[in-house]
Amino acid sequence: MSLLRTDGLTKQFGGLVAVDEVSFEVDSGETRAVIGPNGAGKSTLINCITGALEPTAGTVEFDGEDITDLEPHETVQAGVSKSFQTASIFPEMTVRENVEIAALASEHGSFSFDFLKRLSGFDAVHDTTDRMLESVELLGDADVEAASLPYGDKRRLEIAIALASEPDLLLMDEPTAGMSPDETAATVELVEELQDTLDLTILIVEHDMEIIFQIADRILVLNRGQVIADGTPEEVQESEEVQEAYLGGVEL
Amino acid sequence: MSGDRSGDATDAIPDGGTVTEETAGGSGGSALAGLRERDDFVVVAMAAALVVFPFLLIDILGAVGDVIGISIGGYTGLPSLVLIYGIIVIGFNLLLGYTGLLSFGHAAFFGSAAYSAALFSQVVPSPILMVIVGTIVATLLAWPIGFVSIRRSGVYFAVLTLTFGQALYFWALGPGSWLTNGDNGFSGIEAHGLFLGAIPLDAQLIPVFDSYTVMYAFTAVVMLIAVWVGNRIINSPYGLIFEALGENEERVEFVGLNVFRYKLMAFIISAVFAGVGGAMFVIHEQYIHPTTALYWIQSGDFVIMTVLGGTGSLVGPVLGALVFEYVANVISGVSLPMIGSIGSLWRFVLGAVFVFIVWVFPRGIYGAFSDLGSRLLGEDPEEPAVADGGERE
Repeated sequence: MSLLRTDGLTKQFGGLVAVDEVSFEVDSGETRAVIGPNGAGKSTLINCITGALEPTAGTVEFDGEDITDLEPHETVQAGVSKSFQTASIFPEMTVRENVEIAALASEHGSFSFDFLKRLSGFDAVHDTTDRMLESVELLGDADVEAASLPYGDKRRLEIAIALASEPDLLLMDEPTAGMSPDETAATVELVEELQDTLDLTILIVEHDMEIIFQIADRILVLNRGQVIADGTPEEVQESEEVQEAYLGGVEL
Repeated sequence: MSGDRSGDATDAIPDGGTVTEETAGGSGGSALAGLRERDDFVVVAMAAALVVFPFLLIDILGAVGDVIGISIGGYTGLPSLVLIYGIIVIGFNLLLGYTGLLSFGHAAFFGSAAYSAALFSQVVPSPILMVIVGTIVATLLAWPIGFVSIRRSGVYFAVLTLTFGQALYFWALGPGSWLTNGDNGFSGIEAHGLFLGAIPLDAQLIPVFDSYTVMYAFTAVVMLIAVWVGNRIINSPYGLIFEALGENEERVEFVGLNVFRYKLMAFIISAVFAGVGGAMFVIHEQYIHPTTALYWIQSGDFVIMTVLGGTGSLVGPVLGALVFEYVANVISGVSLPMIGSIGSLWRFVLGAVFVFIVWVFPRGIYGAFSDLGSRLLGEDPEEPAVADGGERE
């Protein structure tokens, strides 16, 4: 069953068509990858799905609902959350507070008049926070200021924030960019583990081919905004068009 | 979980508010260590400080002044005036210090509340009702101004709020004269006493100590309510969200929170505090004019007080209001040998104080006390905060 479906999704910046009539589906429970050379429109595609950018044409459907025109916070509330490419955290707040705010948003919705209610009384928020911190192995650093974490930990915190929104679909924008090989391996393991325990569907944008072919169930290949291949890793690997346009004819 | 929220790694300092109040109130150290773990510690500490504040400001400083031959004691109305500005900047700091929104137009809320209270006093001169009416008007005004201004950020937000504030100022001077009495303002505004006029505001509470008036007690109670409400807000989900907005607005949107509505709430809440202060101001001063109530300098003064006191805590800005009003009202009256009377040069003195504080103590007066306090208590200032006046436990 498809959880996310785009239909003719197009984004134009002036004369440049960054995303050109992209139609694809993400099935419930799968790990879906989007790859493509620089400037292929991967990030723009993600931004159109989250609502950070307004598509010029086409629709985005999530869980049977049209989410094309939703604001980013509404998209998150609908069940689609995003982990950023650069760790987008709250540097001067503690690790726990970083996750708490996402858990809070998931618990009480996008807005509430609860400004005289004690935060310490939100038990579900604290439970979710602890659970997410534990799953990314940061519970021990919960009271540390986020800015003082090593880079790899910041990225895992970033993932914990995205997960605390309790999404059905997690969009991951190059989760291993800038990581050391060790950190990369740990992150890949983490992603696969999370998917099992949290019953997540993942849409991942990644440069690292090795990772993609290791974890992706299906791969969407973009070039200059257009879909040039869509299928299993094997199918994509064998596609001549992909080798031509993206890999420059190099054998994988 | 730090309620402190400025600067670098050394910021997370175990409660400086303790020590601030300690120096002011002379309370013991070890009992406070346990007390300050409590959520409402800041309210209790403020109550203690309010009891001794006029005595220190007027009587003690006055006696010192007599000895050194320079008049440095405050006048009897000064403690109330400091608290009135203190109430305003507690709210202003929720917007500037926590949410990170710099408004240059809060005189609009201060002034509209002051004028509304003044006008209402001609119908019912009850101080409590004047405060309520003034606050309601300020709140209603904050909604549309915030709604438009919040859509822009940074300097555009500051300029938009400034523009709205100045528009109101010029309206009050010219076209709105039928309501505001234009350049003449209102004088002789008289609020009757509390409890249906039974207790006049200028009545003394304690013989000999002139500054302990009913007006002071009234102001102190309103201040305590303001601190209590402010403390509840920063310990509520709003405290977390405001702080997060100040640090990474985009991320707040992407955890699923409505950034626009929360920023608007921060704006309106701060305007409520400014409204309470504006109405209290007119009760205290019994006089109102567009220049004192609505001019942009007034908005700028709120910013200066807040930064001077320190944006890193709930009550820090109150210290800024104290120093500001002390320089404006007492130092301005000081006459020095060689230099002569300081008079209207007080803004130079204030400027020097401001530059010094911001330079030496970037986290404001509160930050300075906070560092000093942790050193005196033998605590490591590098240690993450375990408890703070504005703390979630």
